[in-house]
Formats: sequence, structure tokens, C-alpha cells
Amino acid sequence: MEKLRLKVQLACAALFNIGFVQWHSVCFPVLNCHSCPISLFSCPIGVIGKFAEVGLVPLSVIGLMALAGLVAGRLLCGWACPFGFLQELLYKIPFPKFTMPSWTRFIKYGVFVALVLLVPIFLSTASQLYFCRLCPVATIESAIPWAIISGTTNPVSLSIRLAILFGIVMAAMAHRRFFCKVICPLGACLSLMNRFAAIFPERNTDCIECGTCGKVCPMGAGREKDGFGAYDEKAEECISCLECRKKCPTGAIQLWGG
Amino acid sequence: MLRKVFFAILMPLSLAALVYGGFFREFKVYDNLEKFDQLKNVGIKIKIPGYDQQQPELTVQSQWFSEPEVVNAMTFDGIGLYKDGRLISNYPDLRMLKGRRPCPT
Repeated sequence: MEKLRLKVQLACAALFNIGFVQWHSVCFPVLNCHSCPISLFSCPIGVIGKFAEVGLVPLSVIGLMALAGLVAGRLLCGWACPFGFLQELLYKIPFPKFTMPSWTRFIKYGVFVALVLLVPIFLSTASQLYFCRLCPVATIESAIPWAIISGTTNPVSLSIRLAILFGIVMAAMAHRRFFCKVICPLGACLSLMNRFAAIFPERNTDCIECGTCGKVCPMGAGREKDGFGAYDEKAEECISCLECRKKCPTGAIQLWGG
Repeated sequence: MLRKVFFAILMPLSLAALVYGGFFREFKVYDNLEKFDQLKNVGIKIKIPGYDQQQPELTVQSQWFSEPEVVNAMTFDGIGLYKDGRLISNYPDLRMLKGRRPCPT
């Protein structure tokens, strides 16, 4: 399953940046910047911010995100998001590792409300505080390529973006999926649907309550004694990577939810 | 059970939002009215429905955009907001907003 996930992640990273086709009328619920010269879909976070600036709600985008969340939850983060994939590769680099306190997972909801909604509404998407102007994905896929192609007119802004990207890369090397857990506003939106998702890892009656699944979870989703899958502690963080399924001694975990 | 109830409530709502937004919702987008204001300030007479009816030389155009077209236009900063709340093109011509792709040059 791990190899399958790797293949899907590689295929999605290639598909979303296929180069010769652009379909920016459609948002795909992964963090992939639409300012990238070779991006296929538009980024839902970027579109929500732009709509917020003109006082509108993008119903089709929110509907699509909600639908994706209800069907698969954060499975898209674990299987399709190119930046999540990049962070997993970064974490494999030998580097001092650290753990994060559990409360830091709430920061991403604040990031969504403050930097994706409030900054465009009350300031502007031209503000340096707007999420897309700080987003590491936009820096990799847009700011750096555009600076190479046509130069930059704002070296201060580019320097800030590069500094943030550097910080997040270092953090991702030290803590698995740091950005997904702590900062990602799209992850925050999808995690709201995670407990209701149709596709979600569940334990069946073979479970012997050994607690291995909780210990190996890369997203830090715990396991309550009498809980079951979606009702587990921090289940909203689960990205369905199925690390727990691999390590389960009785094979009690299945992806298709009950 | 609670989970299935939430799922059953949220699924039709999200489908309705997706279908209405994706296929039926439309926005009226005007030419860049801020540019027209600047043209007025330098003495060129223009006609904007509502407040300059006598001058037929230059007329503000408007077009209906579907929500996916607006989403596409938003990806290259194509649409802005005029001071009276109308959506306006940030580009000189409205036709540039439909089907336009960001160009490296």
C-alpha cells in the first residue's frame, strides 16, 4: 500500500503540473498554485481569497471542497497533495527531529480565517499578509519561476517568501508534515469534514486494543479506548496514509469506513 | 449514527452548492470603470449607463460570466470591485477575461 501511495503521489504531482493544458475554471482540493506557469487546476485557497476580496462566496469551489471532504476527508492530503508529498520526502533527510505540542494543530484554522478570509476582506490580496503572498507552495511554483522568467519588481517581498519557504523546509525535515499539521488552510477546511468522510480508516472487531495505530500515526491522531475510527481523538488530522494498517498486528484496520 | 446523519445533511448541501455554482450562477462584469473615470477626468466624454446618458462616444460594456469563468479570471487577477460594488475587469477589454491563460511574456 505504501508503494501504491507513492505512485499515486508521483502521478498527481505530475498531473497537476502537466504543463500543456490549463483548466483554471476548476479547483482541485489540493495545495497547488494556479500562478504556476504549468499548473493544471486552480488552487481553492487562492480562489477563496480572491472572492473574499470582492465580497463573494465561490459556491462551486466550496461545494467541491465539501464534497471531496465528505467522500475522502484528508485522504487527498495524504495521497494527492504535491506539497504533502514533498514534505514526506524532506522528512526522510537525516536531520534532528522534534515533536510538536498537540495544540499547534489549531493554528491552521486561525491561518484560514485570518490570512485567507479577513486579510482580503479588510485589506487586500495585494497585502503582504495575504496567505498566497506567504504560501511556500506559491513561492516554489510561482514566485521563483516568475522571478527567473521575468525578474522581480519587489525583492523585499521575494526575500520574505524565500525566508518563509526556508523555515518551512527546515521544519518539514525535522517534523513530519509540519506544514500540513500546523499551517495548511486547505487541510483545515478538509479536516472539518474528516469525521464524516465515507472513506476513512476504521478498526473492525479483530482489534485487540494494543494501541499500535495511535503510536505510529504520523499525524499524531490518537486512539481512544472505546473509540472507533472516526471517533478517535484528533481523527480530523488523519490523512489516510494507512501507516496504522501496515503496523497493525491483527490486520484490523480497513480504509473503507463503516 | 450521528456521523451518518451529518453526512446525509452535508452531502446534498455540498452537491447543491457545486451544481448551482458550477452551472447556473452568473455574475455581471463591467469594463474597467476606474479607467473610464480617469478618461473622464482628462476630458473624454463617455457614456456609462446610469450617470452620463447624454454622451454617446464611448459606452461601458458588460457581460455575464458564469462562476467557473469568474474563478478562471480570478486566477490572473482579472476581476476587481468598483466603488459602487459592481464587478469590473482589471484588464482593458472584457474579452480578455474569458479563456485567457497567464502568459510568461
